[in-house]
Amino acid sequence: MNIAITDPHLMKSGRSLRSLFQHSFVLTKRSVLGRLRQPAIIAPSFIFPLFFAALGSASFHKLAEDPYFTKNIATSFLNYAIAGAVLQGVLFASISAAADLAIDIEQGFFERLLASPISRTSIVLGRLAGSMVVAMFQVTIFLMIFIGAGARIKSGPFGFLGLVIGGALLSLAMSAMMAGLAIKSGSSEVVQSAFPLIFVLMFLSSAFFPRHYMSGWYRTVADWNPISHIVEGFQGFINQELDFSQFAKAWLLPLAVAIVSIFFALRSLSKRLAGS
Amino acid sequence: MSDSPILASGLVRHFGSGANIVKAVDGVDLEVRQGEIFGFLGPNGAGKSTTVRMLTTLLKPTSGTATVAGYDVVKNADMVRRSIGVALQDAAIDPLMTGRELLALQAVLYGLSKNAGKNRGEELLERVGLTEAADRRVSTYSGGMRRRLDLALSLVHEPTVLFLDEPTTGLDPMSRLTLWEEVKRLNAGGTTVLLTTQYLEEADQLADRVAIIDHGRIVRQGAPRELKAMVGSPTLSIKVGIDQTDEARSILARFGDLRTTSEGTLGVGLARGAEDVATVIRALDEAGLKVRHLELDEPSLDDVFAEATGYRLEGAGTADTGEKNSEAVDAQESKGRRKRRNRS
Repeated sequence: MNIAITDPHLMKSGRSLRSLFQHSFVLTKRSVLGRLRQPAIIAPSFIFPLFFAALGSASFHKLAEDPYFTKNIATSFLNYAIAGAVLQGVLFASISAAADLAIDIEQGFFERLLASPISRTSIVLGRLAGSMVVAMFQVTIFLMIFIGAGARIKSGPFGFLGLVIGGALLSLAMSAMMAGLAIKSGSSEVVQSAFPLIFVLMFLSSAFFPRHYMSGWYRTVADWNPISHIVEGFQGFINQELDFSQFAKAWLLPLAVAIVSIFFALRSLSKRLAGS
Repeated sequence: MSDSPILASGLVRHFGSGANIVKAVDGVDLEVRQGEIFGFLGPNGAGKSTTVRMLTTLLKPTSGTATVAGYDVVKNADMVRRSIGVALQDAAIDPLMTGRELLALQAVLYGLSKNAGKNRGEELLERVGLTEAADRRVSTYSGGMRRRLDLALSLVHEPTVLFLDEPTTGLDPMSRLTLWEEVKRLNAGGTTVLLTTQYLEEADQLADRVAIIDHGRIVRQGAPRELKAMVGSPTLSIKVGIDQTDEARSILARFGDLRTTSEGTLGVGLARGAEDVATVIRALDEAGLKVRHLELDEPSLDDVFAEATGYRLEGAGTADTGEKNSEAVDAQESKGRRKRRNRS
């Protein structure tokens, strides 16, 4: 059997969009399998957000007695906590996905890919798509758990879907940003060092507590923090009727960050390849 | 397009800049012929892997040119990648995937259809003896199994040129022999193989020709036999009865310079090489002398290495673990050893 690739048309198509899609698809599959086969790594991105949501619901449930809260924010603190949990879970899982890319570089699998006639872009796209698939799965699980615990999504299935897509876009933005860092540094430790920073940014946002009740510098930081706006977009899908502002915050804002981050990741890849 | 599958001319690779510049490869000229196993021999840091990384398009040369499978490694890097198989140092394999999954992934990356990839994967798993372990995660594989899988992965698209970067480093002797057999089998099927190694024995056993690289430069290149012949002639040691020593000595002297060997034996450096052994024995037999013991001690690649570099690759001949093989031994000690081997 001679299956050496010598046909010029096939060679040309190696650089085509079809190859990019095929390579990205198999690398996405690898990325998802890799995530699912590391329960010890994926578990914290489920356990911690749910723990914080449970803690918040138990501590701040009296907030739901405030008419402003029930009218403008959420019908219950459990409903309010969904968006923060989704955001936290997705951000953590996305950083871990990018750390996997850095591990590929550290352990040499990245070079194995480079030694093959693979579309270079697909190395990054496969990883990002894998992260999005995991995020969609994760958001779905979260929503089902919260609904089981008594939460209600006011905008129904569309809100559910809106949140799933929003989670995927947020995952794309964060994993692209961290993938850029992974490619630039080639170190999983550098990527994982982003965890504390993300934690701080989340606590300085309205992920765990409404901005309306904040004051002073804390409120100012939360007002400027993009995470506040993304999480409020998520909250809108759950606690309000669908409107454009939710899509703008929950979809367009992460998408804008994703576009910049993907550019950063691909540029880092290009620089790394040029450097070698 | 050259007929030689691997051709490098003045290949240079520097790392760093200014005062901190490191010349990892410093003007390598290399020609690997169609269908041969070419051994690239040298200690850690000699420039073997850097050269291979340039030839496999993973690293751009600072200067110089190279073609692999007829394609320029810089201008036609994609075509080079399609033509070669690469098994890099340390078997970089995703431990979370199974052997079968990795082969399927590799098949897609090389443009094989799903069915062709599946069939090729099964064929390769059987060939490297991993069929039973195919659905286990690689994290459960032994070092030898990983190396065999690595080799299988590099063969998915039936490359015409195969690069093996230290394929047996860290393997136990049995796994090493298994891999050697597979490399020989591949080569017999027409695949040109370039393998880097720190093990002199490996190069001696496998390679049709070797290049010895040291400090980024090739210091010797040729067939192991020719290189060894350049270092010195083989020593034939024989033991005869005490009353026949003088007559035996005079016969041996016709074939080369007499050498002192161990006590009670006579030694001769065979001027025309090991081919003369039969002639010597015949001459001794015709003279009615009874040979009680016979031993042929040929110069090794270790001697060639020492001659070329001024130091030895300690333990390289035995190569059981590979951990101490690259330790350089003092040049004086090296020369002393060689003297003892040939003249003591």
